[in-house]
Amino acid sequence: MSSITKKERDFHHLSKPWNVVFNLIAGIFAFLCVFPFLFVVIISFTDEGVLARDGYKLIPEKWSLGAYRYVFESGDMLLRSYGVTIFVTVIGTIVSLLFIAFYAYAISRKSFRYRNFFAFFAFFTMLFNGGLVPTYIIVTQFLGLKDSIWALILPLAVNAFYIMILRTFYSTSVPDAIIESGKIDGAGEFRIFLTLVLPLSLPGLATIALFSTLGYWNDWFNALLYIDNPNLVPLQSMLMRIETSMQFILQNSQNSSLSLEALRSMPQDTSRMAMVVLATGPIIFAYPFFQRYFIQGLTVGAVKE
Amino acid sequence: MGKKRKRFSLLLTSLMAFSLALTACGGGSNNAATGTGTNTGSSGNGAASEKPVELIWYTIGGPQKDLDKVMEEVNKYTKEKINVTVKMNMIDFGDYTQKMQVKVASGEPMDILFTSSWAFDYVQNARKGAFMELDSLLNEYGKGVVDTIDPAFLEGSKVDGHNYAVPANKELPAQEVWRFNKELLDKYKLDISGVKTMESLEPLLKTIKENEPGITPYAMVKDFMPILPFDYIIEKMPMAVYMDTKDYKIVNILESPELKSSLETVRKYYKAGYISPEVATTTSVDDLYKSSNWFMDRAATQPMADNLWSASYGYPVVSTPAGEPYIYNWSVMGSMQAISANSEYPEKAMEFLNLLNTDPVLRNMIDSGIEGVHYEKTGENTMKNLPESKNYDMPTFSLGNIMINYLNEGDPENKWEEFKKFNESGVNAPLLGFNFDTSKVTNEIAAVQNVKEEFWAPLMTGTVDPEEYLPKAIEKFKAAGLDAIIAEAQTQIDAWKAENNK
Amino acid sequence: MKKTSGFIKNIINNKVMLLMVLPGALWFLFFSYLPMMGAVIAFKEYRFSRDGFWASIIDSKWVGMDNFKFLFTTNDAYIITRNTLLYNGAFIVLGLILSVLMAIVLSEIVNKKLAKVYQTGMFLPYFLSWVVVGYFAFSFLSSERGMLNQVMEFMGMESVQWYSEKKYWPFILIFVYLWKAVGYNSVVYLAAIMGIDKSLYEAAMIDGASKFQQIRNITLPLLNPIITIMTLLAIGKIFYADFGLFYQVPRNSGTLYSVTNVIDTYVYQGLKTTGEIGMSTAAGLYQSVVGFVLVMTSNYIVRKYNKDSALF
Repeated sequence: MSSITKKERDFHHLSKPWNVVFNLIAGIFAFLCVFPFLFVVIISFTDEGVLARDGYKLIPEKWSLGAYRYVFESGDMLLRSYGVTIFVTVIGTIVSLLFIAFYAYAISRKSFRYRNFFAFFAFFTMLFNGGLVPTYIIVTQFLGLKDSIWALILPLAVNAFYIMILRTFYSTSVPDAIIESGKIDGAGEFRIFLTLVLPLSLPGLATIALFSTLGYWNDWFNALLYIDNPNLVPLQSMLMRIETSMQFILQNSQNSSLSLEALRSMPQDTSRMAMVVLATGPIIFAYPFFQRYFIQGLTVGAVKE
Repeated sequence: MGKKRKRFSLLLTSLMAFSLALTACGGGSNNAATGTGTNTGSSGNGAASEKPVELIWYTIGGPQKDLDKVMEEVNKYTKEKINVTVKMNMIDFGDYTQKMQVKVASGEPMDILFTSSWAFDYVQNARKGAFMELDSLLNEYGKGVVDTIDPAFLEGSKVDGHNYAVPANKELPAQEVWRFNKELLDKYKLDISGVKTMESLEPLLKTIKENEPGITPYAMVKDFMPILPFDYIIEKMPMAVYMDTKDYKIVNILESPELKSSLETVRKYYKAGYISPEVATTTSVDDLYKSSNWFMDRAATQPMADNLWSASYGYPVVSTPAGEPYIYNWSVMGSMQAISANSEYPEKAMEFLNLLNTDPVLRNMIDSGIEGVHYEKTGENTMKNLPESKNYDMPTFSLGNIMINYLNEGDPENKWEEFKKFNESGVNAPLLGFNFDTSKVTNEIAAVQNVKEEFWAPLMTGTVDPEEYLPKAIEKFKAAGLDAIIAEAQTQIDAWKAENNK
Repeated sequence: MKKTSGFIKNIINNKVMLLMVLPGALWFLFFSYLPMMGAVIAFKEYRFSRDGFWASIIDSKWVGMDNFKFLFTTNDAYIITRNTLLYNGAFIVLGLILSVLMAIVLSEIVNKKLAKVYQTGMFLPYFLSWVVVGYFAFSFLSSERGMLNQVMEFMGMESVQWYSEKKYWPFILIFVYLWKAVGYNSVVYLAAIMGIDKSLYEAAMIDGASKFQQIRNITLPLLNPIITIMTLLAIGKIFYADFGLFYQVPRNSGTLYSVTNVIDTYVYQGLKTTGEIGMSTAAGLYQSVVGFVLVMTSNYIVRKYNKDSALF
């Protein structure tokens, strides 16, 4: 089996010089992208005093773990936030994948009479929304989700953008013939979907799952809106709260009580960067899990025949 | 003990609720439908006098780990005193305005909420109907507040003749000072006794610039604005009346000779390199303070501020006045607690606010936490923070009367007397008590705001040449509709003037 | 009568598919369509009522199109509309070209391990919030301590006051946007390439097609549907500007306003002091309606050429 795949790939090989050129293009761009992140890591390990004096430096005069010590002092608060974020991300991705996979499949099928209606029904929500307050009322008063972990999951569960992308994946990578052959074999619609369509659409599903995972991981706004209980605050929301509050206090320095307040509670540059590192680190390790579906591709042939 | 009583009262209420449901089932279900959700909805008749009322309170500041623990203690105390318990929710500074806007607009149940001139704008929201009018409540249940706090607070925070919130008794006027890094003053034997105006700083700045290449002489940020003899209609908008005005005529400050000459000075300093070339986009000079790489700046002060600054930076800072202590609308409205318009228990809320502003036990508990856990008393009115206080570190000024707080270690004994003295020294700004109603000119304000963002920082910090840019700014402000706003404000001021015999 | 029974028959015939869209449709109903009723605030001067939000809406007075005026009556109306459209136009076109290019490059690189490393790297900017990106831009562009100026001085060039020189900013903003977005968007195209039937390439090989002929004749045409969809969706958002990009990265520098002020920053600055939710809702509605009209038009054109690629 593996030898067959290898042979298949041989058809694909680029000539050597072009391979070098392609490697350079991707490598340089990747470096540009990684570099600032490395910088974040370096700053987070820089000594505070040195940072204040010299500004951002690639190789600081003095290294320090102080920022991390400071962040971890809040101890269980941080761990709990990790817990919330991970829970919301895992459950959220599963829930949203279920919603989206079914919806997108239905509107990708030409035999579905109302496909255009439901495509429009979804698409319309991408453009129009009722604004913050009405949404807030529906979620808190109608659905009763205030201060509930579901307020972090449900509002992001469905997304018309993902539906439209996934629909295109279904209709391009799943030939009608396959569905027809399934029907001839007497399989019901659900079985066709699960056994024939899903395996063929793995790259698309992985893409949507990845986007959804990142969406949940990076989300801070829903927590800002719906969560008052400090024990339910996810990581990014905590980070964002600290950032915006700092900016806010700086902008109101005219107020003497507030500017004196700032003296006490202003987080240091280094600890803010340490929080960025802590908030991003784990998800980077989750990335390869999705990646194999859209770097290596599938051995599609086996499924199709 | 407490637990037992709780269980008993729970049993009692459920029994009562049951019998109520039997006898008056129509009324009961009605209550539940509109109910606050947190309060089992059994207000209304006889049951309420037995069962403590729970007040929902939203206030500003970073959420604290031990908040619930402290509130449990607070509730024991308030239940006994006024039969009230409090559910306090803290929302951090940066999120407060947005989150409260959504909560209030959606009609979420709440009783007490923080408001001020700088977060969840007091005047605006009072006019939109977010708060309950407190005039009669203050007289009936807030006597203590009225007697305790400086009357100027209640007078100055009236909106269209009514009070909508209880101001915190704190520093009343606002005053700006020049601050200096004392180590550098000593090193070059510089004298600050003659410093008062922006112009008088020049010799000092020059000395530092010439001798200390690594130091930023004037640590300025983009919000900088010269001190001018004006009282502004809206903060940082170029329309104001003169401080000594008699006729209350609004002037466009961009056209005033005072602004022009000040800007020329700033521009001179900018070109001389006393100010960072990037000042127009600089929001924080915290790194300069931390590394002590600055010589001077200007800041808002309050009594004993020098001590706080020095302690926080770790090196001595001294200051000298840059302006007079004026009482502005925004300084009076610096920190207030309002009662929500949809509160179910406005009387109880007022009773609670009254207690908060007059009772040292409650006030200190809310401010510093539990005695023996977060702090310990070292004298009758003095205290010391314990290590646990890091889990309960509240923004003192936002939580009511600060002058009944225990003195902290290191505070001078006469701290609150100094505050009172400072308050007495304050001079009323001419527009104190006048609040511009912007609802007729919102379109113009949106446009003018954007012009302001474009021109303000570069002009005020000397980044651009006022000769060239001031006329440009004036022209753009006018095109955006500044004159229409001024005309509307003038009409309102004239009416207000006539009404108040100014 | 006949019509209704036909309808019921259709429902029954499509029941499995209807069941599949049901959860999603309910979600849209609750989280999108119900709140949409609140958009009526755009035509009201919103004032609070004791009895909650809906009562407030009913009690607030109608003001017609007044809330929309601030978007059009100013001198800046032209500038913010132009900036929003031109930047988003550039983002759509350049973003598309670069993302597809990067996806093809990554898919063709022989060493798959390296390709994975590159791809992970490209994704990192997506994790940094605009605030943090703003810090970085500053550490490069700061006139005093910025790396760019240090390098330029080292090479004997004159240093630049980046935050007050308008002419560079269109390029800087486009660069920063692409830097942040290309890695993310290329995933979609990469996944689409992986979904292409490998036997097509084999057949082409047998016909003696070179690698680049394969890309042109197989990869690109098969990417066409997803490219069309992504572009159509982006057109719908063309009146929405990324607030963080235009506010945090130029550090809200006043001198740059004529090239950095977009609809979203304008609305933010303009409503900061008055906080009228009627006006902010109006701005959102305006952005949506324009986007909607543009998408419907483009979708109509796409349908004419290729029915399958259209949105609906």
